[in-house]
Amino acid sequence: MTIIEKTEALTFQDRAGSRRATKMIRDWALPILILMVFLVASVSVPEFYKFETIRAILLATSIIGIIAVGMTAITLSGNLFSLGVSASAVFSGVIYIWVGHSTGSMYIAALAAIAAAVVLGIVQGFIVGLGLNAVIVTLAAGSIIYGVTAIMTKGEVVQAESASLEGFATFQLFGIPLPIYIFILFTALAWFLTEHTLIGRNVHLLGSNRHTARNSGISTMGTTIWAFTAFSLGIGIAGVLQASQMHQIQADNLSGLTMDVVAAVLVGGTAVAGGDGSPIKSAIGALFIATITQVMVLLGIDQGPRYFVLGVVVVVLVIVLHLLRKAGAR
Amino acid sequence: MKNQVPLRLRATGISKSYGAVSALADVNFELRAGEVMALLGENGAGKSTIVKVISGLIAPDHGEITIDGEVAHIASVRASQEAGIAVVQQEFSTVGTMSVAENLVLGQSDAPGWWNPRLLIEQAKPILARVGLEDIDPRRLVDTLSIAEMQLLEIARVLAKDAKIVIFDEPTAALSDAEIVRVLDAVKRLASEGRSVIYVTHRLGEVFEIADRVTIFRNGRSAAPHSVSDLTVDLVVERMIGRELGHLYPPRSQSFGEPILETMGLKVPGIQGEINLAVRRGEILGLTGQLGSGASEILKAISGVADVLAGEVYLDGASVDLRGRRRGIGAGIAYCSPDRKKDGIFSGLSIQRNLSSPWLRRVSLGGFVKRAQETSEATRSASNFAIDTDRLNALVGTLSGGNQQKVAVGKWLGIRPRILLVEEPTRGVDIGARAEIYAQLRRLSDSGVGVIVASSDTNEILGLSDTVVTYYRGRQTANKPVQEWTEPALVREVMHREVQES
Repeated sequence: MTIIEKTEALTFQDRAGSRRATKMIRDWALPILILMVFLVASVSVPEFYKFETIRAILLATSIIGIIAVGMTAITLSGNLFSLGVSASAVFSGVIYIWVGHSTGSMYIAALAAIAAAVVLGIVQGFIVGLGLNAVIVTLAAGSIIYGVTAIMTKGEVVQAESASLEGFATFQLFGIPLPIYIFILFTALAWFLTEHTLIGRNVHLLGSNRHTARNSGISTMGTTIWAFTAFSLGIGIAGVLQASQMHQIQADNLSGLTMDVVAAVLVGGTAVAGGDGSPIKSAIGALFIATITQVMVLLGIDQGPRYFVLGVVVVVLVIVLHLLRKAGAR
Repeated sequence: MKNQVPLRLRATGISKSYGAVSALADVNFELRAGEVMALLGENGAGKSTIVKVISGLIAPDHGEITIDGEVAHIASVRASQEAGIAVVQQEFSTVGTMSVAENLVLGQSDAPGWWNPRLLIEQAKPILARVGLEDIDPRRLVDTLSIAEMQLLEIARVLAKDAKIVIFDEPTAALSDAEIVRVLDAVKRLASEGRSVIYVTHRLGEVFEIADRVTIFRNGRSAAPHSVSDLTVDLVVERMIGRELGHLYPPRSQSFGEPILETMGLKVPGIQGEINLAVRRGEILGLTGQLGSGASEILKAISGVADVLAGEVYLDGASVDLRGRRRGIGAGIAYCSPDRKKDGIFSGLSIQRNLSSPWLRRVSLGGFVKRAQETSEATRSASNFAIDTDRLNALVGTLSGGNQQKVAVGKWLGIRPRILLVEEPTRGVDIGARAEIYAQLRRLSDSGVGVIVASSDTNEILGLSDTVVTYYRGRQTANKPVQEWTEPALVREVMHREVQES
């Protein structure tokens, strides 16, 4: 007999309930995971809960996090990632130190560095807005920016000669360094902008369905340029903070940064396809990446195995998130 | 059973419901060996649902299918294929960057592990000859074929599977007359080899040319099959459409006011000649024709989605700049595309975010969205369109087709439209939501919004619009008040011109 029984036993209400459940898991999986990493670390790493350790983790988080939060705009808009993070951040750092030397003001230097990053971002956003693939454009742009930086600096280390440029990194409030405050502020601002402004909402709409967005009168070009502007703001700020922390910078620096930032956005849970995600998720993702990296450093694990573990963790998390998203959309 | 020809396939008592909507109600269907059985019916009548049941895409709630007298368990597409059933889809499953010969083995279960080019070409030749593609070099890339040749290749792919039952789902929808002949020849050849063919179509001319029998679907029920020789076009049309329309379509307005939108000498790619149309206050203008008739292109051009070659569009007497969709929206032109999933909704976003997407700018101040105003206006749009206002945070992708369509149309209320252009307003929409959408379109028209509907569903066009304009192959063929049309006349106008002309 072919009396086929109804396989769809779940009613709509049940499905709505299970959708909510998978969304809960998606939203809370990472914070819980970070907590678990902290717990494991507190047992296995001696003196993990020292104030200096936590501060170091947060400092590392702030550089990755500021860029990841900016990158979220690109990912949300449906343009995947920028793969030119390292080169762009180093370029901004170089500008910071150079302008700092010639003007003597770290504020003017910071503004110049951020402006330079934004100009580069707008150019890339324009090219992507024309319809070119973001990954290819930013990869090529990153290579060009790296090349220009290396030529300008003749491949040498750019040294901050006076201590006046360290201000952004050394300033502390209640024992917590300024970059951490900047990171939190930048994240909050990015969240507000994505949720409450026309541009932020258009970024979301464009990433969700670019054809519908176009029919709804949303400009692909304008919105893409704004997304890249937000990203390059993060790059500029991070470049300044990095340069003032290290007092020096070189074209070859920050080589692992692109991977760390992309990983932060991915494990944070922003959809690669766009339209679904949040800068706050990416900030939490950055905290996760920085934490496990730092814990491994404290455990004395070498760079090779560290990258290996990081890569495996990212892949596993991204697969789990993908499966959860599919379950939630059913 | 009085007939002597053995039954290849028999489906008895097939039912399928989606919630309260019954897609198939106790449907019986039979197919003899070596016959071409045409499935006819309006959109939503159940023909595509029964095809999906037979091909294993959906499981019926009740019913039994037997093949060659034995009960068949068709629980999946694979089971259907193993039972000897093959489907020629409307969408091509060929890979454009591979050769014709490669496409013939692609995805076949008995495909060789190692593709020896010479062997593939030798295998391909007889299969291609059977669909009339013997002139095609098997080494050619599929991308270089014409649409008709691709359709024939699609049929050849099915032949490579050696199926007993071949289902065609509107194989000629996108083809020209000369190309259709080649496809029909291939279908006839299949039947002459003893295979059974189920042929779903909207074109009545084809039915009389190739089908042996016809099963007509209406409202999820099927009639007993008729021999084509016992039927006439008028009889078929009557059986397809004979149902009460009264409550589905809202009452028409009695008089029309000034023109809201006029096109003067408009020229659009894909349409021959100038387009001179007018919509008056209180009037719903219906454009209809088959796929590719050009009705769709006109709406796309007026909305600013597609380019205009020449001519002017006037809104309340003032010329409108149509370069780009944003200007169109600024002028108060709302446009709903025919394919809501592709470019009508944001399925990953909430109902509210969808509803507010075209008019966010209007509820923003200095770039900041006024959330309270957004919510209150979205709620108003939703309640106007009978969308549950308690579920504004639900993702649109999780809604039924009817509710998705209500969102796709309802989002335009917020731009305070002066003109609403809707393509295929009820494609894939259940009957309840259809009535709500029709009522809302009429209400908008009564409130002074110009409404133009383009639809390939002639029943819908007749029930909803005040003036009906027909298109055929990029040409306007008639423009008359709805009172001067009868449904058979309209069906013949859009489907049957080929018969009249030849």
